[in-house]
Amino acid sequence: MACTHDHSCEDHDCSSNWSLYKHIDLSKVTALNEANPGSVKSVFKAWEERLNSSGEHLESNEGDPELLVYIPFTSDVKIKSISVVGGADGTSPSKLRVFINRDGIDFSDAQSMQPVQEWDLVENLQGVLEYQTRYSKFQSVANITLHFPESFGGDTTQIHYIGFKGEATQLKRDVVATIVYEITPNPSDHKTRAETGGLSHVE
Amino acid sequence: MVLEATMICIDNSEWMRNGDYSPTRFQAQADAVSLICGAKTQSNPENTVGILTMAGKGIRVLATPTSDLGKILSCMHGLEMGGEMNLAAGILIAQLALKHRQNKNQQQRIIVFAGSPIKHEKKALEIIGKKLKKNSVALDIVDFGEEEDGKPEKLEALLGSVNNNDTSHIVHVRPSQNALSDVLISTPVFTGDGEGGSSFAAAAAAAAAAGGSVSDFDFGVDPNIDPELALALRVSMEEERARQEAAAKRAAEEASGQEKGEEAQPQSDSQNATSTATEKVSDPMDEDDLLKQAVALSMNIPGSDSSAGDAQMSEATNDDQEFALALQMSMQDGSKDSSAPSDVSKVLGDQSFMSSILSSLPGVDPNDPNVKDLLASLPGQSESQQKKDEDEQPKDDK
Repeated sequence: MACTHDHSCEDHDCSSNWSLYKHIDLSKVTALNEANPGSVKSVFKAWEERLNSSGEHLESNEGDPELLVYIPFTSDVKIKSISVVGGADGTSPSKLRVFINRDGIDFSDAQSMQPVQEWDLVENLQGVLEYQTRYSKFQSVANITLHFPESFGGDTTQIHYIGFKGEATQLKRDVVATIVYEITPNPSDHKTRAETGGLSHVE
Repeated sequence: MVLEATMICIDNSEWMRNGDYSPTRFQAQADAVSLICGAKTQSNPENTVGILTMAGKGIRVLATPTSDLGKILSCMHGLEMGGEMNLAAGILIAQLALKHRQNKNQQQRIIVFAGSPIKHEKKALEIIGKKLKKNSVALDIVDFGEEEDGKPEKLEALLGSVNNNDTSHIVHVRPSQNALSDVLISTPVFTGDGEGGSSFAAAAAAAAAAGGSVSDFDFGVDPNIDPELALALRVSMEEERARQEAAAKRAAEEASGQEKGEEAQPQSDSQNATSTATEKVSDPMDEDDLLKQAVALSMNIPGSDSSAGDAQMSEATNDDQEFALALQMSMQDGSKDSSAPSDVSKVLGDQSFMSSILSSLPGVDPNDPNVKDLLASLPGQSESQQKKDEDEQPKDDK
């Protein structure tokens, strides 16, 4: 659960739960309506660093608090909950809508499509709140798209940290990457169990 | 080599019948479009390009983004002019076409040819621009054709609201001798963001210029025929300019520093020789100063400082374009991929080579003692030979 208990976190390792950031394919992460292209990659970090705002953060364009973040994973993951740390002064996002396993979503799609799940967020500047998912729907997530339609009244939306809690499977959802085709079969590759040691023979 | 899907919005309104761009505005536009398509598909084979027309009965998408160049070029045939251009709708439909591109990894770009007056307000254009920026679509605008009050401002406002990190550009093209496509080739519309001139662009420039209009190649060499040579010439000219400034500064200090008597004599001799060698002397005073500096350099730093050696050659040939060409061409042939500077000084030091060069120049007699002097003073050949020549000089002197 969230670390709102009053003992310190060294007893159990909270950060290991939030380790799905390691399975994010950072090079393919994109965001729409971000003020600095590429700044979206800075919000995926370890749990301990979620409040560390010395680096970059994700900010939307001036006057338009809508944000759309597309996150592909390197393998299929199961997401149990999501945590979002926003900015101060009303620049935290107020709603979150997520879409699973769809790529190429833009704002008009996001606004018209039915999300897999949506939440009303609160300002979570300490990073202690997490939003649980309907786990059955988040069983094999190859990529996830987060849509933040509005903020708490600020001109822009700022996001300092996005974390995912869950587990990674070793499966990959899409096409097999390496396939070896044989032009002519090599009999030694096709030894049946009964014949190891004797002459091999292709059935 | 950025992976991109491009939609080109063509203006086929009545204003395109005008002939201020040869042969007609519409034809100039069509040529430019075909060149752009070629450039995009060549820079990355997975790029796709689509075309739509903005005027006529309504916006018509002639080709959705495809990498098949033949399809794109064929749909440009038989286009009819008429009606008024609807810029806003054109851009929105282009954005829609890009949204449904097959490869979602491609960056989205719209290229608009705005040749007729724009009836939209600045505000409306800015809203469109913001929408494009939000969906990270880049926009290139070619402002040509009809010149109307406020058109450039409207287009600049549109560009300002779209532009994100200089991915969008605007080009204003006025009617002139040059074809529209020639003007566009050197702009970021063709060359992409920060890539510099693509080889396709250079080849296209050559092909277009071969049609008979005045070609303004820097070196009189057709990049289409010999792109390596053209590139080498361009690069060495730029290097020469950079080194010239550095070397001139250094040479000025050194020329004032060295005061040796015996060096003054051959120095002035070789100075005369090289001044006769170089025919076109626009400003004799500057020429002599430059040559003095050049020779001083070669005297003081024989062969070791290869960059200075290179500078010497470049300074001496500064005012003589043909000489520069000749030297560079022969060096190009001689040493393709070896490190140029050391070879340059070696080549310069090769007496037989230098004498053959000088003999090919009219007005220079290789048997002139002054010229022999110059040759003898060249670095690269051993010092002993230099001394030997200096010994022979008093005998040869007439």
